Amino acid sequence: MEFKIKDKGFAVFLLACLLVILIFSYALFGMAGLRVALGIIFVSLPFYFILNNFNLEEGEKFIFSLVLGITIFPSLVYALGFLISFKISITIAFIFLLIVAFTMPKIKKKPNNSK
Amino acid sequence: MKLNKNYLQTFIFVLVYLFAIYFWSQPYQERRIPYGEYDAMSHFELADYMAYNDKSFSQLPPYIDIRYGPDNKFKPHTLWYPPTFHASLGVMEVIGGERVLPVYLMNTMMVTFIIISVYFVINSLFGFLPAILSAVLLIFSPRDFMPYLWGQWPERFGYTFIPLILYCFYKYFVSYSKGESKPIYLYLTAALAGINLLVHPLTFFHSAAAVAVLYIFLSIKQKKLIFNWKHASISLIIFLIIFFSFPYQTFNILPQLGTIRTASGTMIKDNKQFSFGRIFQWSLDPKDYEGSVPASYFSFREMDGLWTLPFLLLGIAILCWRREERDLLMIAWLVSLYLVLHRDIIGQASFLHRSLSATAHIFVPLTAIGAVYLSSIIKIPENFNLYLKYALVAIFLYLTLFVAAPYARQYLNKDIYNPNSINGKLSYDFLKILTQPQFDAAQWILENVPDEYNLSVLGIPHEPNFLPATAYKIRWSMAVSQHVSRFYYLLDDRDNFTKVNYVMLDYTMVGPTGDEKLFNSMQSFEKNMTGHELVYDKNRIRIYKPNGI
Repeated sequence: MEFKIKDKGFAVFLLACLLVILIFSYALFGMAGLRVALGIIFVSLPFYFILNNFNLEEGEKFIFSLVLGITIFPSLVYALGFLISFKISITIAFIFLLIVAFTMPKIKKKPNNSK
Repeated sequence: MKLNKNYLQTFIFVLVYLFAIYFWSQPYQERRIPYGEYDAMSHFELADYMAYNDKSFSQLPPYIDIRYGPDNKFKPHTLWYPPTFHASLGVMEVIGGERVLPVYLMNTMMVTFIIISVYFVINSLFGFLPAILSAVLLIFSPRDFMPYLWGQWPERFGYTFIPLILYCFYKYFVSYSKGESKPIYLYLTAALAGINLLVHPLTFFHSAAAVAVLYIFLSIKQKKLIFNWKHASISLIIFLIIFFSFPYQTFNILPQLGTIRTASGTMIKDNKQFSFGRIFQWSLDPKDYEGSVPASYFSFREMDGLWTLPFLLLGIAILCWRREERDLLMIAWLVSLYLVLHRDIIGQASFLHRSLSATAHIFVPLTAIGAVYLSSIIKIPENFNLYLKYALVAIFLYLTLFVAAPYARQYLNKDIYNPNSINGKLSYDFLKILTQPQFDAAQWILENVPDEYNLSVLGIPHEPNFLPATAYKIRWSMAVSQHVSRFYYLLDDRDNFTKVNYVMLDYTMVGPTGDEKLFNSMQSFEKNMTGHELVYDKNRIRIYKPNGI
């Protein structure tokens, strides 16, 4: 899986945004707010890695991973929640989606290798 | 290190969006108590049940089933919505580590996501200025935050998908027609449409109409029809996988088509006659919705602001005159809104007024485009052209911040849904929303009363002049305590019911409402109560349990 921070400026920009969001969340809503902000990043991150396998623009990857993160991720947790604890399902769903993200390039490359 | 313009613009948007979160979260910033109308209760209940009980559920627990049992026509007594939206709130309740704030904060984030999606689409197609102006004005859109306050949460989030779906389909169509096929955009269109259906069917049908109109417009513009079997088949499979993931809920959509909800919550066949004159009207007749939605909701002047009208008309005129591919996306979006607002012509009048709440999402960017592009259609030297553009942007921002924002603050502020007295005066919300002592008592019930017992409640006023408001209070108590709670005096079999269930005497309301009769009857009831034992006595709320359990 290829994932590189494109340049120093991009990394600084991401960190600045993250810092502002986390400070805002903590200042206005306390620890619960901070955890929700981190939670949104947590559920979206696997989808960012999945979308990173496709030829999409950076902004598109951010937006679509957010949308998929707050919809598909909880749907998966809900489905797993019939079999195991809802709380544990959150971790399992995260790991499962990370595996999907990291195995996707290998699956995508297979047809080329077989040629 | 050179400051990248794109990063700076995005950073400005992040600040604007955080302000939106601040503005929309005012009702719960100081109070961590759930609030809202009946719809809000149901959404809170569904999310909270999963998170608090650490399990998923399809069959409704009694305290939810008592009201929503028949709402799923396809599979009664099960979830009537696909779980996507509520599971998201539930996941955040778990991660947030609290019962109330994470649910409300996550909901605020989801319902304001339309600001992100509009900014993203407009910025991608028309640049930063129209995008940021749209984002700022959308924060103060009453037709967006009013339904949010009323509790129509999934529907609000559902509208987020319309611009994103249009954008993905547009990118696919344009890339394909240029011979640089990018099927990922069609797959994303299908995935987002599927998720859109899971979030709220009404908004899905709007998205579908918008894509159909855009396809027609782009086909006419390009003078060719675009269709690829492989891409279409894969997209259909993606959509169907999502559609069939929660069949009990997605199939619940079908029996509801062509029906309307009555005041009591039951669904009846809609036999309303479509009047021909409606074709020439944008909005709906407020008289048809008296009692459920305020008349101001149907007014352009009050919801959008008359100052936006010249810019809006100009924006539409510029796009219709220019008709570039990106312009067609906006026109298709606008036309699709007109179509869904007039679907009563084909007998689909259910929730017609709710589609009106999608107006600002297309009106606002068109208004911003009108303001930003106005300078480009006036023939003046280029330098002056730039000054004029920024002057118009400044006027737009001034009107947003000094006309739209103060109007919005009248409806959305820290005192809305505040059950505590404001400046020494009791608010109407005192009757509706749980106070902190009532919330604490409900939380105690949740933690201490076995699931199989219900509650008989005395002290929350139940007479006809109070009932429309205090029925909310009882329902909120049920939502927080996860137990069925009933007004003692409204129970048909009150003695038998009370004998075998818990009893809550709430003295916190009889004083402020000055209801001496109720106070006396409560005291007499408590004095004569036998067979119960006092188990909770805090903040003038007492809870008794039946002896022997």
